[in-house]
Amino acid sequence: MMRLPLFVFRAPRTLEEAARILHGEGPDAMPLAGGTDLLPNMKRRQQVPRTLLSLRAVEELHHVHSSDSGARLGACLTLSDIASDPRFRNGATALAQAASQVATPQIRNMATLGGNLCLDTRCNYYDQSYEWRKAVNFCMKKDGVTCWVAPSSPKCVAVSSTDTAPALMALGARVRLVSHSGEREISLAELYNNDGMRYLHRKPEEILADVVLDPLHDWRSTYWKLRRRGSFDFPVLSVAAAARFASGGTIEGARIVIGSAASRPLVAGEAAKFLVGRALTSETIAEAAALAARIAKPLDNTDFDMSWRKKVTAEFVTYALRELRGDDVTSERAAITRVPSA
Amino acid sequence: MQPRFGQEVQLDKIAEKLQIDPADLRLRIAESSNAITANFFRLSTVNLSECIRRVVKSSGWREKFRKLPEGRGVGLACSAYLTGAGLPIYWNKMPHSGVQLKFDRGGGVTLFCGATEIGQGSDDVLASIVAEILGLDTFDIRLYTGDTDLGPVDLGSYSSRVTIMAGNAALQAAERAKSLLAEAVAERLAIPPERLRFADKRVFDSAAPENGVIFQEAVCLAEARFGTIATVGSYTPPKSPALYKGGGVGPSPTYSYTAAVVEVVVNPVTGWITVPKVWIAHDIGRALNPTLVRGQVEGSVYMGLGEALMEEQEFRRLPKKLSHALVHKFPSILEYKSPTSLDMPDVFTELVEEPDPKGPFGAKEVGQGPLLPIMPAVANAVYDAVGVRIDEVPITPEKIMKALAEKKAGRAPRFGPAHFPHVDWPEALRVPPPWEGGDGNAINDVPRRAKPASQPGPQRTPEKDQVLSS
Repeated sequence: MMRLPLFVFRAPRTLEEAARILHGEGPDAMPLAGGTDLLPNMKRRQQVPRTLLSLRAVEELHHVHSSDSGARLGACLTLSDIASDPRFRNGATALAQAASQVATPQIRNMATLGGNLCLDTRCNYYDQSYEWRKAVNFCMKKDGVTCWVAPSSPKCVAVSSTDTAPALMALGARVRLVSHSGEREISLAELYNNDGMRYLHRKPEEILADVVLDPLHDWRSTYWKLRRRGSFDFPVLSVAAAARFASGGTIEGARIVIGSAASRPLVAGEAAKFLVGRALTSETIAEAAALAARIAKPLDNTDFDMSWRKKVTAEFVTYALRELRGDDVTSERAAITRVPSA
Repeated sequence: MQPRFGQEVQLDKIAEKLQIDPADLRLRIAESSNAITANFFRLSTVNLSECIRRVVKSSGWREKFRKLPEGRGVGLACSAYLTGAGLPIYWNKMPHSGVQLKFDRGGGVTLFCGATEIGQGSDDVLASIVAEILGLDTFDIRLYTGDTDLGPVDLGSYSSRVTIMAGNAALQAAERAKSLLAEAVAERLAIPPERLRFADKRVFDSAAPENGVIFQEAVCLAEARFGTIATVGSYTPPKSPALYKGGGVGPSPTYSYTAAVVEVVVNPVTGWITVPKVWIAHDIGRALNPTLVRGQVEGSVYMGLGEALMEEQEFRRLPKKLSHALVHKFPSILEYKSPTSLDMPDVFTELVEEPDPKGPFGAKEVGQGPLLPIMPAVANAVYDAVGVRIDEVPITPEKIMKALAEKKAGRAPRFGPAHFPHVDWPEALRVPPPWEGGDGNAINDVPRRAKPASQPGPQRTPEKDQVLSS
């Protein structure tokens, strides 16, 4: 049986107090927001914070404020809260779809939005017990020097495996980071770094407090997730897409984000730019899908064959864009989630 | 399991070459009851043909096979599986299973047996058999199983053997107790013991059912008459007519049979494969507990789909500068995936029942046989859907895409091992089948059962004659 290491547990009631504790404890402290990933990681000694700063009792992190000028989502909203909240339909559908496809109902009842956005990157050689990792002399990401996936790589290639981040990036979300000395708001895209070890541009003393969304009523969005089983698996490829249409059907604005194909969610900027001013004809979709798929560089450290994951990326982008166009993609979605379609 | 995959996929290929429907090909070659196979396995009841007919009907096979639109297909496969290994897992002449029954003055019955309940329902089966014979309810039977301190040996929960072996041992122990109780009750009621019936927790005169005693009283009468009541039963499988070297692998008192049809949908662009429905029929002999039997069949379907589509031990070679060793690519069970209940397709299960004389109350195995047809049926269905053969498991989308690319390029439309690995085989043994007058021995090897030197030539024991003529 794997046991948790010893740690100090702090449970402040205000964000201010939380920021003060985090500042005082230094980099050995980690915020705890759900813990569905962090606590198992601690049992395997992948992450060994000396202090856990629980955010659960911080009341203000549990709220959704929505108005005509947009929405503000507290980092401690659970994924179940988000999946079931009717406010996250229509424009923000991608977020609800992403949240509802994370893990299992039990985990979604505990796991939080902030936790999923800051989810540790994953790798076959990292998400293992301490003894197993020790047997291979550890890896670069924790306690070792070699990357077992790409031994000549100077940096860690662990995979960004968050579902909500690609969705929220496609929705143009920003995040508010609060620390002892103040706060800053950055775009969610800026939060991520394409390095499996330093995958967040979050300073150790910063707390991801909330997610800020502009009004989305004239947007359509969607999220597609590839995994072995529709019931319960991390993504090994995902596509989030959002678009705003002019009355004639041409696209005024678009964002496409590819998840789980690098150490950060990848913005398919060229594909999105290509779409602006065009209608979603089959030719446009094919061209945009090819452009978007070009940036995906999956490596051999997740389930499924890496070259196959690369090959099907364009098809997943196609599903997403066809859905935004208004096609009925029920059977494609049912097949991908392995829900029997009689 | 592995040979069955090869065999059933091969049959599908043969049927196509002969332009015969694969269901019909199998119906033509299916064995019938009480046959002795080419390799000298003695069969008991065989209802494979009925299983095939059932799944052909329920799945709508005739309307679907080679007739569904591109990307959708059906595949059929069968299996035969032993109901308990005929030889013990470690070599000795003792029974393979033993049961002790203890009867107390309160009418309680306690069963002791080494059989191990691993969730398959073996405790329920043992209790049901004893309760049925003694006219009790399963709730009246107390069981101590899987404890070698308390119960007699049962060789274990493997080779689909517990119902037939521990079950027959329980049956024998219960029958012995029944005759003791019957003798004592018959004496009290002054009627011949043959007229007694054990039912509804009573022992009574079948000619005048109101004339009888409750079960507890029957036990007390028997204890007064014979002393403390305890009985034993044991089971040893019949000897096999297969006498050649290697003939010890596969003999069994009887065999179960299964047929399955799997429907698949394959996306021709991504190779993504889904299974909307499975139809399966299993020749169980008799289902002692139909709910448990269906649970075992459907559990086999789930494991079969995991094996067909997901489970794999993948290895990768480290670079030369890092030892060049082969290491696990997915080193933990977390990535060794099988479907969850949410990933399961609809399963339509039918049980074919003809009580088998070798099984307790006619029961045959259901622990392993229904698993076997699933993997080849998936492979055959993929071929029906998109015209490519995936000759190995798991059948993954990337393999389907590779095979589709081969097909497009005009090469052999398949994915799998290119050749059989080289093996320096010794000279093959030649065993003439029964219809060529074989006696179970290989003609180019030493006879496996020693014969007296004074009698040259092939020798037949009375036992073997009986086996060969039955």
